[in-house]
Amino acid sequence: MSKLFEETRSLKAPVWGVIPRAAWPLVVAIAIGALVYFGVSPLVGGFVSKVMLIVGINIVLAVSLNIVNGYTGQFSMGHAGFMAVGGYVAAGIVYYGSIKLWGSAEPAGGILSIVQEGPKAGPLWGKGDFLFVISCLIGGLVAAGAGYVVGLPSLRLRGDYLAIVTLGFGEIVRVILQGSHDQIQPWKAADAAAMPVYELAWKLGGPKGFNLVPTYTTLFWVYFWAALTCIAAYRLKSSSSGRAFLSIREDEVAAQAMGVDLTKYKVRAFVFSSFFAGVAGGLYALDIGAISAGDLNFIKSFDIIIMVVLGGLGSISGAVLAAVILSILPEALRQPPSLVPWGWVAIAVIALVMGAVLPKGKKLKPIIVLVGTAALWEGLRFLATSVHVNLPDYRMIIYAILLIVLMIVRPQGLFGVRELWDLKVFKRRGGGA
Amino acid sequence: MSAGAMLEVRGISIAFGGLKAVQDFSLSIPRGGLYGLIGPNGAGKTTCFNLLTGVYTPNVGSIAVDGVDVTGLPPHQIAVAGLSRTFQNIRLFGQLSVLDNVLLGLHLRGRHSLASTLLRTGFHVSQERAMAALAMRLLETFGLANRAEEQGKNLPYGDQRRLEIARALATEPKVLLLDEPAAGMNPQEKKALRELIQRVRREFGVTILLIEHDMGVVMNICERITVLNFGQTIASGTPDEVQNDPKVIEAYLGTE
Repeated sequence: MSKLFEETRSLKAPVWGVIPRAAWPLVVAIAIGALVYFGVSPLVGGFVSKVMLIVGINIVLAVSLNIVNGYTGQFSMGHAGFMAVGGYVAAGIVYYGSIKLWGSAEPAGGILSIVQEGPKAGPLWGKGDFLFVISCLIGGLVAAGAGYVVGLPSLRLRGDYLAIVTLGFGEIVRVILQGSHDQIQPWKAADAAAMPVYELAWKLGGPKGFNLVPTYTTLFWVYFWAALTCIAAYRLKSSSSGRAFLSIREDEVAAQAMGVDLTKYKVRAFVFSSFFAGVAGGLYALDIGAISAGDLNFIKSFDIIIMVVLGGLGSISGAVLAAVILSILPEALRQPPSLVPWGWVAIAVIALVMGAVLPKGKKLKPIIVLVGTAALWEGLRFLATSVHVNLPDYRMIIYAILLIVLMIVRPQGLFGVRELWDLKVFKRRGGGA
Repeated sequence: MSAGAMLEVRGISIAFGGLKAVQDFSLSIPRGGLYGLIGPNGAGKTTCFNLLTGVYTPNVGSIAVDGVDVTGLPPHQIAVAGLSRTFQNIRLFGQLSVLDNVLLGLHLRGRHSLASTLLRTGFHVSQERAMAALAMRLLETFGLANRAEEQGKNLPYGDQRRLEIARALATEPKVLLLDEPAAGMNPQEKKALRELIQRVRREFGVTILLIEHDMGVVMNICERITVLNFGQTIASGTPDEVQNDPKVIEAYLGTE
């Protein structure tokens, strides 16, 4: 009988109950979703809400990719492929499901899932919401199945070779989906309703994309899933499974010698990661009401990889921050807003917090970088307006230059492998839930 | 061919292309024994360890740990069967904390389903606590408890060696394989290491097989020694017998 087993049995079961511990992520996710949807969204208006929605989906994507690329150190370039799988499955279920169940492809959600500006009114939950929630879950599960299939070759491959396999997977998914049959349009709903499910399953629009899908994705659902993804990723990282992931990244030979089953954990990472990519794909498709495999090619995968690398491979908070920055930046550069006065107030507050939180001797550089970036921003804006340069024309160049500078200044990413809560002030002793 | 051998190796061989790295290697260590494996550079000592721990699969021969045949199993299953090792060139998980390194050693004795991890079941939390407690106790034994939160790569060299041994012991091995633990150590550190190895053997009751380059370390503490040269066993016996074997002297000092 192992010592660990004896020790585990000798411990009393934790005081905090099983059900609350299992359920609080759901509660927190609902609270965060509700706060963003009912609290923040009406204040900031339509355009900012739309950007926030993209930010949220990108958080799900970046945090989930981080599990494969960051935790286990496998280099996957097929994340958009998993997203496409989930997206098409979810869109197919919602579109044909609506037609089958109530004869039309009109949205049938409550206020949680009907996009509307200003104050929200109406029933909280509509009949379509069940379909939507289930479709995202099934989309995630099918993507997870695809992750299992892609995870298997990763047992023998690593580094560049695995990257090529995953790249190939993404392209295969794209090509297969583009070869699907024509969609049955909403005005022929009666035809679709009469058709058996297995025939409908392949009528996904082909190269024209899958369009006119009823939309359900709102900020509530996006931030609900973003919170859930982050909590799941955290629970994974701070557990024995997570340590096994990290050990594979650090040294595969030593990890095996310590009894870590490489096969099991690499596949587990892929499955877990692709589940959330699939959910993100569902949210994406049911936000714009259309999905086209052509848009979810390897360039989309690279966007997510950039977020993960920029945030710091292995860091959840880094992935979140990078997803926020990189989703906002291209939009913010369209109409570069001035930082006067509230931007500067915010920067002063952040600088003060950093001064209090960062360890001695490591305060100066980050604060200089922060203030310097803000000054550069303001200078650039001033320059552009005074010589009548249309900044939005150069936005992708500025975006690329910022990426290059960031990678030179901090090659390990914003956070490295560390987390926001690893900072000294947040450090508590001992383990916890 | 003793019946109660803890580690029983019978005639394992491996060839890489035309190079016969290890040929017909046999070894039998009784429960609680401390044996040595020596030989000049390139003699095949580490290849032997890699064969024993499943990094390579022997072309012929068999390996048994405590009577259980482990020939051809993948490394992680051999670790579960009770064979744990350290590495010649230290292979710690450098970016992980000292505590996490030891916790990974404890990994294989636990159960870690994805569901219990994500839902934080009572079992999961108890197990994590038990792991942390055991790991801290182990670190205390090795005088590393005050560095538990540091990254593995930031430890001084001697501490890294000790941490590797602690990590290997966390797997609750029956047989511990130490690959040149004294490499790069000065005489004082070597003396401390000798004491540490003897203490580990006493307190943890493990069977130890030691690869060593340094004759002083092996001759002093090992009960029996096997000498390899060019992949072949050229001598086997007590330290005195081995020391006076003409073939061993030839292998180490060359012929006239």
